[in-house]
Amino acid sequence: MTMTADKPNLTLEDINLIEPRIFGEKPPHDQWKLLREQDPVRWHDGWQQTEDGEVAPFRGFWSITKYDDIIRISRDPETFISSRGIVIGTEPESATAAAGLGKMLITMDPPRHVRLRRLVNKGFTPRAVVAFESEIRRYTSEILDDFCQKDTCDFVTEVAAILPLAVICGMMGIAKEDWGKMFALTNKVLGASDPEFQDEVAGDIEDVAERRRVIEATVMQGNIEMFQYFGQSIAAHREAGKDDLVQTLIDSKVDGEPLTDEEILFFCYLLILAGNETTRNAISGGMLAFFENPDQLQKLRANPALLPSATEEILRYISPVTHMTRAATRDTELRGKQIKTGDKVALWYPSANRDAHVFPDADTFNIERSPNDHLAFGIGEHFCLGAGFARMEISVMFEELLKRFSKLEQDGPAERLASNFIGGIKHMPVKYTRA
Amino acid sequence: MKVSVDPDLCEANAKCFIAAPEIFQPDDDGWAQVILEHLPEELHAKAVRAARLCPRLAIKVEEE
Repeated sequence: MTMTADKPNLTLEDINLIEPRIFGEKPPHDQWKLLREQDPVRWHDGWQQTEDGEVAPFRGFWSITKYDDIIRISRDPETFISSRGIVIGTEPESATAAAGLGKMLITMDPPRHVRLRRLVNKGFTPRAVVAFESEIRRYTSEILDDFCQKDTCDFVTEVAAILPLAVICGMMGIAKEDWGKMFALTNKVLGASDPEFQDEVAGDIEDVAERRRVIEATVMQGNIEMFQYFGQSIAAHREAGKDDLVQTLIDSKVDGEPLTDEEILFFCYLLILAGNETTRNAISGGMLAFFENPDQLQKLRANPALLPSATEEILRYISPVTHMTRAATRDTELRGKQIKTGDKVALWYPSANRDAHVFPDADTFNIERSPNDHLAFGIGEHFCLGAGFARMEISVMFEELLKRFSKLEQDGPAERLASNFIGGIKHMPVKYTRA
Repeated sequence: MKVSVDPDLCEANAKCFIAAPEIFQPDDDGWAQVILEHLPEELHAKAVRAARLCPRLAIKVEEE
């Protein structure tokens, strides 16, 4: 069973990968498939500047939809840089985005990226993650025990969201009473294109510029609160030394110089966002994939040794990060298209992960798929730093779910996040029977 | 054929040790090290595969 029913008459002229509401209905695999088959490197228009100048113009981007092309671009961080924005529409010209460009690992280019990443990467290697396994299992048990006490049974907010939140907050020394705040602020920053997380209602929802204004205002508000929080946290760390990731950053030196407060602030901002939103969506998307493919859940139940390959298949099939953009630093050619200096390219990871040239029966959720060299974590210079934690969290969560519940069923529709950046599920009611 | 690992990129994802243990082994901290730099022909395919699997694209394979 596939997650999308292809529209019979979809044509290249219908391609729209910037409208959040389309993503709120379902991941646009029909559009990506059409692009892969008919125009794998295709220009996509952006939007105009508003008359009052409040919304900056966005010229558009090249949609990159084939597996090999995404690898080729990711392999060449000198030609395709991250420091001019990694999300469609966030341009150096727009105030909300500009603040962080070049200041976080994810928006930084080599050689500084290499140096800064080295400050923390030891804590994220597969070997380091194994040391965390018992803690991850303990968190998972607590979450599932709590879940059984509740009657609303929203799998996303009560289960999938809590584990990654607990792990990253634990690493950063964020107290449990602040987890809720971190969850809400993450939703605000990364879910800003979804009305559920916006502070104000867009005046005219058909007006692209007006909606863009509301999105940017929501991100801005989330950023301000996040920075206030971490500003205080950094000050507290400076006063009384602690033993966590934030302290590591404070004590670190790059080329003999300590990081600035601003750099530490952005580092914390990136860690909390990346650490809790993506794995949440892999877990809830994986659960939904199992609901839609009950034979696969049965197979996993019968043979827990399939957990590692099931985890990889969840990552491939869901691909929680929908895109990253890069900007070209020189004129270059890809599949006969002329990419000019300054042009943005959008790497559509879920599309690469359904590329029929790499994955046979790509739309089929098959937990025994092998090989499964998916690009859900990206590849190369910016390969997801937290990949090991994500894998461990997904795997432990499904292992414990199957141990604890003899039956798990979907108990209402999955509500999707309206976002072309994060392939998310906001809410998903489930029913369970305890083992 | 000659292989090398870029220490700036390697993050101990362990893919290469598994794909080609004759060529790559972890050091004491888990980072990849090349134990056989100049490869006989029968190991060429394995080296190329390991380079392709590395998520950080840290492995360089060169003809010599």
